Amino acid sequence: MKFIFADSLDLVDPRYDFKADRNGIGRKPYWDDVYPHELLATAPYDGMLVSRGIVESKYTESQAMRFRRSGARVFLRLDEPERARFDIFGDCGAFTYANEDVPPYTPDDMAEFYDDCGFTHGCSVDHIIFDYDLTLKGMEGGSAKAHERFEVTLTNAQKFLEATRHMSNRFTPMGVVQGWSPGSMAEAARRLATMGYNYLAIGGMAPLKADQIRSCLQAIREAIPLDTRIHILGFAKANDIKLFAPFKITSFDTSSPLIRAFKDAKQNYYLPNGDKGLSYYTALRIPQALENTKLLKHIKSGTFRSEDLSRLEAAALDSVRAYDKGQVTLDETLEAVLAYNAPFAVGQHFEEVRDSTTMRTLAKQYRVTLEEQPWRRCDCSICRSLSIEVMIFRAANRNRRRGIHNLGVYKSLIDNLPPSGEAS
Amino acid sequence: MSQMSYLAIQAPQSTDHIVVSFAATAEEILRFSTIDRVARSAEGTLSGFQRPQIASHIREIKDYLEKPDAVLPNPIVVAFTRGVQVESVDDQVCRVTIDTADGPPGFVVDGQQRLSALAQVKDKDFRVFVSALVCRDEAELRRQFVLINNTRPLPKSLIYELLPTVGGLPDRLDNRSLAAELTAQLNYREDSSLRGQIKQHTNPQGEISDTAIQRVIMNSLNDGVMREFIREPDGERRCFDLVNNFYRAVQIVFSGDWRDHKPRTSRLVHGAGISAMGYVMEHLAILDGARKWDEFAAGMGCLQGRTAWSSGEWRFADDDVRHWKAIQNLNKDIVTLAHYLQAIVRADMRSRKTPRPAPLLDAAAV
Repeated sequence: MKFIFADSLDLVDPRYDFKADRNGIGRKPYWDDVYPHELLATAPYDGMLVSRGIVESKYTESQAMRFRRSGARVFLRLDEPERARFDIFGDCGAFTYANEDVPPYTPDDMAEFYDDCGFTHGCSVDHIIFDYDLTLKGMEGGSAKAHERFEVTLTNAQKFLEATRHMSNRFTPMGVVQGWSPGSMAEAARRLATMGYNYLAIGGMAPLKADQIRSCLQAIREAIPLDTRIHILGFAKANDIKLFAPFKITSFDTSSPLIRAFKDAKQNYYLPNGDKGLSYYTALRIPQALENTKLLKHIKSGTFRSEDLSRLEAAALDSVRAYDKGQVTLDETLEAVLAYNAPFAVGQHFEEVRDSTTMRTLAKQYRVTLEEQPWRRCDCSICRSLSIEVMIFRAANRNRRRGIHNLGVYKSLIDNLPPSGEAS
Repeated sequence: MSQMSYLAIQAPQSTDHIVVSFAATAEEILRFSTIDRVARSAEGTLSGFQRPQIASHIREIKDYLEKPDAVLPNPIVVAFTRGVQVESVDDQVCRVTIDTADGPPGFVVDGQQRLSALAQVKDKDFRVFVSALVCRDEAELRRQFVLINNTRPLPKSLIYELLPTVGGLPDRLDNRSLAAELTAQLNYREDSSLRGQIKQHTNPQGEISDTAIQRVIMNSLNDGVMREFIREPDGERRCFDLVNNFYRAVQIVFSGDWRDHKPRTSRLVHGAGISAMGYVMEHLAILDGARKWDEFAAGMGCLQGRTAWSSGEWRFADDDVRHWKAIQNLNKDIVTLAHYLQAIVRADMRSRKTPRPAPLLDAAAV
């Protein structure tokens, strides 16, 4: 099973100065920055996925132009000989236009985009269907909108296949499945296979629960030939991958191990946990006093003075670093971190909220993190060179590095799954 | 010690105020004054006046101040309504005594970012001028703050024009500075195809916006062909030649849309056209190896008859047809226009993958 990383310019500055909290002198964004596969000794994924929606929203205008001109492989720096065979998947990024009546791209336009950019795999132009219902049988149910999007997705898939034909197999076209129930998804898959697709991408899975995903995959698998390959788009339940392996999934894409590092309330740091899969730790939140928007709001409204916040920030940073060197106790460190967390988490001074539920929950999570020191148990290059800095929840360079560490841990979890005999 | 004392010079200015100036360290200034940030109490009463610190700004100043040759000639302005005594020593010289027994009596009215940066610079005996202003009351103090901070920033185009002549600037200005230098060369060198045509602070009669040309150059320096060029020993000259040759070709291929036109009458000389054509330049230079003006002209010949720079309609797609005037200098429009032009150029490039045809135009004609 291939793990494809859904990228959104997740680069870090390799010369970032963690003491002074600043980029390397003279750093040129993107050019001096590195992708996860450049930062770690082994690439923490088998390929990358780039959504056109991301290129058009997150890239600068001249980066987007260069992406198209020089191609995805060069842009993503996957053109080194050892990575020249890495898959590069493309999709439309249907979430970015979920609220539009029709997708903003035509099948011809997308085919040209994939071809210009040199993708190895390109998804047909789909339109997301939201109202999912597990209880419906066959093609029953589904709102008028759902049916409309179902047809739009399939009509586009047919046109997309025709549009790519003259591109003499420079990339593998993938038919995207959208539906509102297991039965409708199976029907979409069946029609796509009949059109001639032998690689299907299952869309709309991100908001679904594990049992819903399972019932979809089951229905789809039964409706298509055994050798038809399946890719799961935007797989948010990536940590439960074991549950889905029996459905012969060839590939899936996700960015969740990276995103969790700074979006999850508590599961920020991954560590392998033998047969149990993964264990998770909460990162220590020490945001930048003069840059964090939440704290800036407090400063603007006069609730906190920036000088006071800066002092608490420095105390928290100093104590976690000293703790890592064995110079201060766990309790002292916890106290300093929580004192600075109070304004950030609840907008009040620590003394006033010490016994609140929020602060007690944080205290509990942080205590586990500090006690178990998981960063000492990982021998990836990030954890070895950063030590406790990797556990600090603070600005992109720390948070993304923690996310990249998670990708590495996650990749080895995938690599160690028992083979399910899927077609490849 | 709750008394701080300085020898100062006094400037007779107004009968209602006392204005004196002396030198002090950041640490001293923060002992006798505070940065009072604007805030509202729960009852809605306004207090203070300063905006929050800006981390990136402070960092830039700090970087500068850490250099051995750094100077900071403009003063930090501190206003007092109490706690300060001024005794004349002679006509101009006086002694200022500040009483900090009840906390710092002064308020920083101007220079808080500089002061915050300076406070972070350790191990350096650096003094700055303090201009102390003694006001009647808090209302007068706030009035002074508004007056002092209400200055207009310099016009951007003047700053950009000055950039190439200034050394040791913060990093973020680097590419901008080089772009400004090349723009000036394009506007003033005799061999430039754009000579005199670029509107700059010192050339107000130009028609092409300097920021549009700078944008083309900066995009190229960041993500395009000039990024490679500029590393060569004669990089700057190669960058100049490229833009010069490209826009020469543009003026020849689209002469009717260029000559005697203003941005109002032709989108080619408008910010949108200049920027979008910049991407055509990248395409031809990188994928087709074009360098000379006739190579560029040959590469964009396929665009003739398919543009609507000064009349007609753009056919971006079957359901996206736009009147020529509808193109605005907005990122969205520039991107759409650039994609449209590049797709034609690219298709043409593919169709003539076989040996390069002879240039369409005779180099000797220009």
